[in-house]
Amino acid sequence: MKDYLQAELRHASIQHTTRRHFLSKCTTGLGAMWLSTLGEKAWGAGVPLLKDPANPLAPSLSLLPGKAKRVIYLHMAGAPSQHELFDYKPELKKLNGLPCPQEYLEGKQFAFIQGTPRMLGPLYDFKQYGQSGAWVSDLLPHFSTVVDDVCFVKSMHTDQFNHGPAQLLVHTGSQNPGAPSIGAWATYGLGSINQNLPGFIVLTSGGKNPDAGKSVWGSGYLPSVYQGVQCRSEGEPVLYLENPPGVSRDVRRKSLDVLDRLNQKIATETGDPETITRIAQYEMAYRMQMHATDAFDLSRESAATHAMYATEPGKESFANNCLLARRLAERGVRYIQLFDWGWDSHGTDASTSLKEGLAGLCKRIDQPMTALLQDLKQRGMLEDTLVIWGGEFGRTPMQENRGGVESSFIGRDHNPGGFTIWMAGGGVKSGLTYGETDPIGYEAMVDKVSLHDLHATMLSLMGFDHEKLNFPFQGVPQRLTNITKPGTKVIKGLFA
Amino acid sequence: MVSLKNVALSTVQCTLLGLFPVCAKDVTFNRDIRPIFTKHCTACHGGVKEAGGISLVFHERILQEGESGNIAVVPGKPETSELIKRVKSKDPDYVMPQPKHGPALAASEIALLEQWISQGANWEEHWSFVNPREIIISDLKNEKWPTQPLDRFVLHGIEAAGLAPSAEAEPSEWLRRVSFDLIGLPPSVELLDQFSEEIKTNPAQAHAQVVDELLASPAYGERWATVWLDLARFADTYGFEKDPHRDIWPYRDWVVRAFNQDMPYDQFTIEQLAGDLLPQPTADQLLATAFHRNTQTNSEGGTDDEEFRVAAVIDRISTVWTTWQATTFGCVQCHSHPYDPIKHEEFYEFMAFFNQTEDTDLNDDFPKMRLANDPGKRDQLVQLVQENKNLRDALNASAKDLAQSEWKLLDEMELKPEHGTMHVADGGFIISEGTLPFGSTHRVSGKAPAINALRLSILPKNPDPKTWPEMGALVTQLIVEKISATGERGQVSMADVIADHLVGPFDPLSVLAGDGAGEKFKKYQSPASWNGGPDVGAVGGVGEFPKLFGPRWFVFVPDERLDLADGERIEISMRQDARAGESQGTHLRRFKIEVSTSDAWQAMIRDPGRKENWAAFDARREQIDGIQAMEVPIMRERATVGSRETRAFIRGNRITKDQLVTAGVPELLQGSFPQDKPATRLDMARWIASDENPLTARVMINRLWGQLFGHGIVETMEDFGTSGTLPTDLALLDHLALRFENENAWSVKKALREMVLSSTYRQTHRVSKELLEKDPNNRLLARGPRNRLGGEMIRDQALAVSGLLSPKLFGPPVFPPQPKGVWGSVYSGASWNESTGEDRFRRGLYTYTKRTSGFPGFLTFDAPSRDVCSARRIVSNTPLQALITMNDPAHLEAAAALATRMKAQSQDLREQIAFGALASTQKAFDAAMLDELIKLHQQLKTTYDASPDEAKKIGDDAPLVIIANTLMNMDAALSK
Repeated sequence: MKDYLQAELRHASIQHTTRRHFLSKCTTGLGAMWLSTLGEKAWGAGVPLLKDPANPLAPSLSLLPGKAKRVIYLHMAGAPSQHELFDYKPELKKLNGLPCPQEYLEGKQFAFIQGTPRMLGPLYDFKQYGQSGAWVSDLLPHFSTVVDDVCFVKSMHTDQFNHGPAQLLVHTGSQNPGAPSIGAWATYGLGSINQNLPGFIVLTSGGKNPDAGKSVWGSGYLPSVYQGVQCRSEGEPVLYLENPPGVSRDVRRKSLDVLDRLNQKIATETGDPETITRIAQYEMAYRMQMHATDAFDLSRESAATHAMYATEPGKESFANNCLLARRLAERGVRYIQLFDWGWDSHGTDASTSLKEGLAGLCKRIDQPMTALLQDLKQRGMLEDTLVIWGGEFGRTPMQENRGGVESSFIGRDHNPGGFTIWMAGGGVKSGLTYGETDPIGYEAMVDKVSLHDLHATMLSLMGFDHEKLNFPFQGVPQRLTNITKPGTKVIKGLFA
Repeated sequence: MVSLKNVALSTVQCTLLGLFPVCAKDVTFNRDIRPIFTKHCTACHGGVKEAGGISLVFHERILQEGESGNIAVVPGKPETSELIKRVKSKDPDYVMPQPKHGPALAASEIALLEQWISQGANWEEHWSFVNPREIIISDLKNEKWPTQPLDRFVLHGIEAAGLAPSAEAEPSEWLRRVSFDLIGLPPSVELLDQFSEEIKTNPAQAHAQVVDELLASPAYGERWATVWLDLARFADTYGFEKDPHRDIWPYRDWVVRAFNQDMPYDQFTIEQLAGDLLPQPTADQLLATAFHRNTQTNSEGGTDDEEFRVAAVIDRISTVWTTWQATTFGCVQCHSHPYDPIKHEEFYEFMAFFNQTEDTDLNDDFPKMRLANDPGKRDQLVQLVQENKNLRDALNASAKDLAQSEWKLLDEMELKPEHGTMHVADGGFIISEGTLPFGSTHRVSGKAPAINALRLSILPKNPDPKTWPEMGALVTQLIVEKISATGERGQVSMADVIADHLVGPFDPLSVLAGDGAGEKFKKYQSPASWNGGPDVGAVGGVGEFPKLFGPRWFVFVPDERLDLADGERIEISMRQDARAGESQGTHLRRFKIEVSTSDAWQAMIRDPGRKENWAAFDARREQIDGIQAMEVPIMRERATVGSRETRAFIRGNRITKDQLVTAGVPELLQGSFPQDKPATRLDMARWIASDENPLTARVMINRLWGQLFGHGIVETMEDFGTSGTLPTDLALLDHLALRFENENAWSVKKALREMVLSSTYRQTHRVSKELLEKDPNNRLLARGPRNRLGGEMIRDQALAVSGLLSPKLFGPPVFPPQPKGVWGSVYSGASWNESTGEDRFRRGLYTYTKRTSGFPGFLTFDAPSRDVCSARRIVSNTPLQALITMNDPAHLEAAAALATRMKAQSQDLREQIAFGALASTQKAFDAAMLDELIKLHQQLKTTYDASPDEAKKIGDDAPLVIIANTLMNMDAALSK
């Protein structure tokens, strides 16, 4: 960057410091800073984060020492069946084919099950692996080799049984659109280490966006700068990242130099500090063009790495996204969110059946997600990278009987009562299996963990007290763990 | 919060606080005490938690004994007031706030509390809940400066801070600002020239003339509709998982028209909130109510329609309170307001206004109005539909008394469930249990001496109304057969169906439709094209769908009296084909069948008057069907007899219901709201739109101000309550609000006209270091506003400056180019079919708004997703924005078109560039700036001459296109 620009930025930064100082000395309503923009008084219960609007993503320190410096969240959209993957229940096997007892149906709401369905035992064989002896089904042969690096939480539960609201609840703490996602909170709380890349990046595979749409990575009531940026593993990684055809990097540099000087003149003339900020943002965009292109260029990886992840060059795939996640994590992206679509195993056709459909999906993720963990570990990054895998709810121990009849394919309905996720790295205890469902894997029973508990725990791993990372909206200090859901707890038993 | 800690406030601080132009020595509650409560106390002693039985939110409560038996505040006696004892205590178990909850009060805060109690502990309601008052500003130093009454208030603040207003803006600066503010588009170079000339001779007239022309431009309505549509959470899709298309764009056009016609804001309010309840509503008044049909509809398979109906109702409540009252009402759903004196049950009393509409989260967005394609026929069509509805209601109602006459059960009743089991319980009710697939049929047969009518009663399975509604119960086809002793069946031809009331998408007659005897009823079925059809599995029926809100009954009258001979029986077959949320059958679980022997039924169906009415009804139906129309979701009320109960939810959870409530508005703001009769949504709308409401005018005027000046007088435009920011100048806000209501009779155009012609608005935005330091965020308005353009404005400007912009108003949404793959909703075949012709270049307002996948060019520039009401776009400044204006092909296309315009102006490069600069920024560039660009042009020319293939990719004149793109990326082009 040109010297004069640096000087100007220094000046601007001093000015902003002055502004901040002024603010701290003065009363409410005086700042263009978001803090005051939103009504300082609502901060009563929380800790105000001073954010510089000129550089809202500047890295900030968490309030408590946190192990997790970054998060990679692998969401299997549609909700994978715990009965076929991790939550082995011999009891359920015995009940296979029997009519479901009424006690399991009373007071329950199902998306598709009608009347009295039949129980459905696990469709695959399970074995115990590693020193920890964790149960994994035959569907995940690669993953079964790394279970000692993983912590399973088998007692997850939610209160939403439809995909859209349930996914929103997983990622925003609220079933309705309009609340900020975890990634937005994380980048709001911690800023971004790499100013040349978005701090919160979303990658999708499976051909579809998640059911709840972009609200699951939205910034809700937080400033829009904290929203997730959906990047693509196919085409331009960031929208409009590339110069238009015919515009070379050199042409862009030359025109930016002139633009910077013209803007500088405007800034001098008007005295508006926002203009200086704009100059800085254009320079950042210019750097982002290079850094993001590089970050998303999988061809820079070795053949061995490609073999390890089973990547598919040029395609939008979960494998590519896992490798990209590692590259982005290396570059300091704070929160990396992967969605893989297609896990809604209702058994309405072959692709959603627990036989053909689920087996194919597992094949798609098994090697790449295992590689991601191994790769992070061998690079020494696993200890400060929190990796989470899961869906938005579980699936029923009964076979789905949509419309009151049994389908020719085998599937399970949505079940908010119990499901399994796994976590690794980032301060989580490895080789642990936490919590249990009842003997048929229907309801979380022992050491139950709500999604709000999970959020509180994630924030704690990142160094935040979930009750204190607040933002004022609708008159109250809002938080990820949803002020309307009291009783949220950090699950300390998961900590290393 | 230093100033609040000091008893003696400096004049500047007082002015900045805005409430009190002159500092008083007396302690006042709103200025001095309430902030201390809010900061230190109300988290535990507020509306949510009342620790120790103490709440500092309600006046009466602070004077009562707490659980300890002590009184928090004893007026005049600080020493006996428990509050003072507690805050002064050194005992960690006794002191307030408890050390674990927060720091101790500062000595200055305690002094204020003591002084307040000594002076009598006078209570004031929060400023925004008290009616505005006009204050006269005298003693201005610079009496010459004000040109509008509002300037006096602003100047008073500026002078009190020891400052002076800035100089008047250059004509170009004001013109750019006013043009974007009023019509959302830049002024043309011609207008700039003309204005710059006219201002020399008659400045006042020149300004006024420009403003009047802008206000008269149709583009005015488009610009201001954008503001309103954020509040209305307008989108072209349903939201949630499938996020399918919704045809509701005529509402967007209604908003544009309303602004252009300068519909008074009170009327604008009433029509949107309750236009359907006005006497003989016009098509436009019905269409206005689509405001509240912009709620999300969840069409995901397997969802509970009641859950999302309630979510929509609650969204309507929050939207009304945010949009019109800037009051955070949502928290009252679960508990009393944490800060403001609004009680928990008042949420549900308000909810009752919105709980009676017919919509139930159905996949086809029922109910909808028919909006004639020919605007000239719209009112006529609405009238025809209304007449037929009235007639249908009358035909139905005329049999009600008869329906209350004697009924008896069938003799020798036999139950034949196709699936599951059925048995007769107490009172002759039939209970159905077990797994029932779609299309399952309940058959009931029996004997009776003579049958003149049959009655089907449907009851919720659970008798406790707190558990209602239940899953719907809908008979989709009902067939009555006579069975001879030898088992031969003959279908009984039916004549009429009477319902307890009419609700939902199906005419009760449709349940009789079928082949043979049912042929004549097929015309009463919903059309096969009915959107809900395939998902719902039904085009007709009786009962209630998708939810059963309470007991229902229906009477079926055969063509002739039915006499059963010995051994003969009748059988009633009830097929149940419908499915709620695509997945759950809506079967009858508790019902009863009875017969009437009264001949009056036969007399009724033979009555010539009734027959005539039916003929008129059918004829009018055909007439209605003959008018080409589209269907738009609107608000429609259920019949009073079928009204839903409204009960408070326990801790905001709709599953656990509490006591019944009746419709009403919070006591705090009730004013002269009618108390003597059941209140309706229309009463509520009129209450909001009345001069008496202390918030409505203030909130709207603050919104207009915020759009013009970049921040409202109350910065938290969405929250005027205790947790929001205080107005920077309450006297100014009140003056504007009162003027809006009174002199300007709710005219938005008049209010805006006064603002943009004011001396305040006409100041230059150039700011000195000193002023920037003293007032970094321009709260005093001692300079003009300078703000970034909104996302739509940035796009519209690029199109306008390049000459590509289409002036076409109204119509279906358009699909300007966006990158492939941005849309990817699940289960949705919808695709972004790029518009062709002028629709590629329409104003941003008309761009398709998909909730789960917004237009990137707008979202990146802080546009909301339109999931929920959004009162304010908080402006950000990010690199992703730079990538859009530099690299988006649409911006390059505009740059190429601007380059062409630049070349058409002159042969001379310098003049070309000067024109481009003027067009994109209204700034006359000085020689140095032009030199920079000319030098860049030379460099680019060298580059592109050497690589003509690259140049061609950009356009005929690549260097000039890059110059144009650079100009349009200037800060001066992105700001107003």
